[in-house]
Amino acid sequence: MIQVLIHLFNIFSYLVLVYFLLLNGFYIFFIVLSLFGISHYRHRTEYIRIEEIFLSPLAKPISIIAPAHNEENSIIENVRNLLSLEYPQYEVIVVNDGSTDSTLEKLIEAFDLKKTQWVFRKVVDSKPVRGIYVCPRNPKLIVVDKVNGKKSDAMNAGLNISHYPLFCAIDSDCLLDRDSLLKVVRPFLEDPERTVGVGGIVRLINGCETKSGQITRIRLPRNFLARFQTLEYFRAFLGGRIGMSLIKGLLIISGAFGVFRKDVVLKCGGYRPASIGEDLDLVVRLRKYLHEQKIPYAIHFLPDAICWTEVPETFQALGRQRNRWHRGLIEAFLHNRRMIFNPRYGLTGLFAMPFYLIFELFGPLIELLGYAFFIPCLFLRLVNYPFAFTFFLLSIALGTLLSIAALLLEEFSLRRFSRISDVLLMALFCILENFFYRQYLALVRGKAFLDYLNGKSEWGAMDKKGFAKEIPSP
Amino acid sequence: MNHLVIFIRFSVFILILFALLILLYIVSRRVYQQVKDKRFRRRYLQIEEELLNALSATEPESAALLAEKYAKYPKVLTKLLFDYAKVLIGPERDRLKIIFRIALEKKSTRDLSSRRTMRRLQATRLFGFFFDPLKMDFMLKLLNDKPIVRLAAVQAISQLPSAEALSIVFRAFEADSCPNVHSYTSVIFSLGGRAEGYIRETLKNPISLEKIALLIELVGAIPIRSLCQDILPFAGHAEKEIRIKVARALGGLLIPDSVPVLIRMASDEAWEVQAQAIKSLGKLKSPEALDILAGSFYSKNWHVRFNARAGLMNLGEAGVKRLEEIAQQTRDGYAAAMAAMALHDIYLSSESMSS
Repeated sequence: MIQVLIHLFNIFSYLVLVYFLLLNGFYIFFIVLSLFGISHYRHRTEYIRIEEIFLSPLAKPISIIAPAHNEENSIIENVRNLLSLEYPQYEVIVVNDGSTDSTLEKLIEAFDLKKTQWVFRKVVDSKPVRGIYVCPRNPKLIVVDKVNGKKSDAMNAGLNISHYPLFCAIDSDCLLDRDSLLKVVRPFLEDPERTVGVGGIVRLINGCETKSGQITRIRLPRNFLARFQTLEYFRAFLGGRIGMSLIKGLLIISGAFGVFRKDVVLKCGGYRPASIGEDLDLVVRLRKYLHEQKIPYAIHFLPDAICWTEVPETFQALGRQRNRWHRGLIEAFLHNRRMIFNPRYGLTGLFAMPFYLIFELFGPLIELLGYAFFIPCLFLRLVNYPFAFTFFLLSIALGTLLSIAALLLEEFSLRRFSRISDVLLMALFCILENFFYRQYLALVRGKAFLDYLNGKSEWGAMDKKGFAKEIPSP
Repeated sequence: MNHLVIFIRFSVFILILFALLILLYIVSRRVYQQVKDKRFRRRYLQIEEELLNALSATEPESAALLAEKYAKYPKVLTKLLFDYAKVLIGPERDRLKIIFRIALEKKSTRDLSSRRTMRRLQATRLFGFFFDPLKMDFMLKLLNDKPIVRLAAVQAISQLPSAEALSIVFRAFEADSCPNVHSYTSVIFSLGGRAEGYIRETLKNPISLEKIALLIELVGAIPIRSLCQDILPFAGHAEKEIRIKVARALGGLLIPDSVPVLIRMASDEAWEVQAQAIKSLGKLKSPEALDILAGSFYSKNWHVRFNARAGLMNLGEAGVKRLEEIAQQTRDGYAAAMAAMALHDIYLSSESMSS
């Protein structure tokens, strides 16, 4: 019996080792790819004059759709930010998704909104709209008040109201850089026929100072959890997404900031109301539709179109957020399972989806399985201590190397943290995140499988502080 | 197992060493960049001050003196010239040209044949501001370069006032197998009315639909009213995209004679063409369009209805009267609600203006 267990343990150890090496091998590959990608992108855009895009007669108008649910702390700053963007023609549609706080009242008061008899066409499904408000002094702003649904439902309501051929999906707890829209729209101007979606980079607003909806000073977050997430966002956006975009396998355009062609999205049926991870689900369905229709297309990621977002600063809120993201991943993959390993969908079916399935979706399960297997083996004295210790060191060294490489990507792309002490502090967090933080994330992501099976579909509140508290206006 | 453990431990050592090296690189690069940036900024401000003096001085030699004095700082001078060339024209630009010739021309000419694309691109952009029209040959060679350099060369050539230069720009546009729509739009749009004859000639040539669409769109966007007759034949083009562009361009040209064509296009088989024609009719504010705009309120397509609503809102009292009629009718509730919404919007905006 013991012999069988030892044999099983050895087989499992080797399998985990292979999985671990493959996973980290891919991550390193993406980071190297991103290094070249960022360098090439920076050179290519160095002499592009953003004001030319502003003046271009071909710059298509954009509808910015910002769903808001209980955002009373940040909504006014956010809308001010959206109304002050540099772009020739756009509208801002704030969808109040059945907030139970004073989000709507604050909007009405701050922007002097008037209820209107708006007539719209219902192209995609959404929960009933209770009222539409306009701002007579600033016709760019439209506020839609609707019965609570999910974010995807609110996006659909916004799509029904929107007028323009491009739409920008944005979270209402985010701020955009003034020129972000001009930057993100460039691929639509250069290649209007093929470009269907473009995503921008999401960065952390925690710790930064804001005034009148604009970032005035970029600083590292003071909160430890937010610092860990800073590293994570660097790895995910500068490493993963640029790499995936370069091999034409990008599956996510963040729901926090992405611009899409409305006609194509509507042909796909808009956002799927039941989806939890609506951003991933939309891009996967777009790819599916365009592959099936044999329509040439391009989906881009731009590292310099910046959106600033507030991230959770408590373990509970972080756990809820990551649990939801993972449930969204599970749900999107189950819904689009036919695409996985299907050559009909090209690289999306043969590489991008299997990669996400094996390393992102099942990653936390395999990690937890490893811990679960290790503990009984410890009691049964089946553990080869030198090997286990060495493997543990290897995982920390690789994790640290990947995070430091992500810092290098940040150095090459935007270099927004100006102080050297910030870089050194982040390097320290590159090591620290390997202890407890990663294991915690694996646990909440692993729990997402159970929650999904139990039919949990709630969004999960985040306890946001709001931007207004970051710096008091003089 | 032991060999594996030894191998992994060695790998761990290498990985840690590599991570430390990357960190060291980041920190040292940061220090180096900060020092470099500070020095660059200081020098930039210093040269900028003298440049401003040179630009406002009565004697033109001051520009030459400045160029000779700072020729050893080509990067700072390049940046400075780029920044000022964007905003200066006339005699001030000529003084920048003197600085370029003395301090940077030789280096930039060398850079034009550099292996590095970015060097070639930067040099091309710089020549775009300052090159001598008589020495256009080297710029023509760049039209066979990579797309990004080629477009910079096209942009540079388009700045020249000569007919030959414009002819080169349009030949390059015709020959480009994969045109960058945005870049060509910027180039041709910046030519304004000068592009008239070339657009007319190019539209007669066998070019791709994408290029025809771009040119028609630009006719309306610039706008070049004298080209109205040249784009009207495309109103019956078999390709829907072209008809859409014609309808949009006519809305930009605002020529009353085009109203009958737009009215015809408002009954096109494709709803996209109808919607665009209705939109353009609304912009034209022609009383002749009242009936078709009011009729379009009952279209099966929402976009057509929406544009008809905007059109009637543009037509002043006559438009409001029609909107009231539509709001009161009962055979199409959606049209009635939409008209009521338009009237409400007019009321809201007039209330806001009066307050």
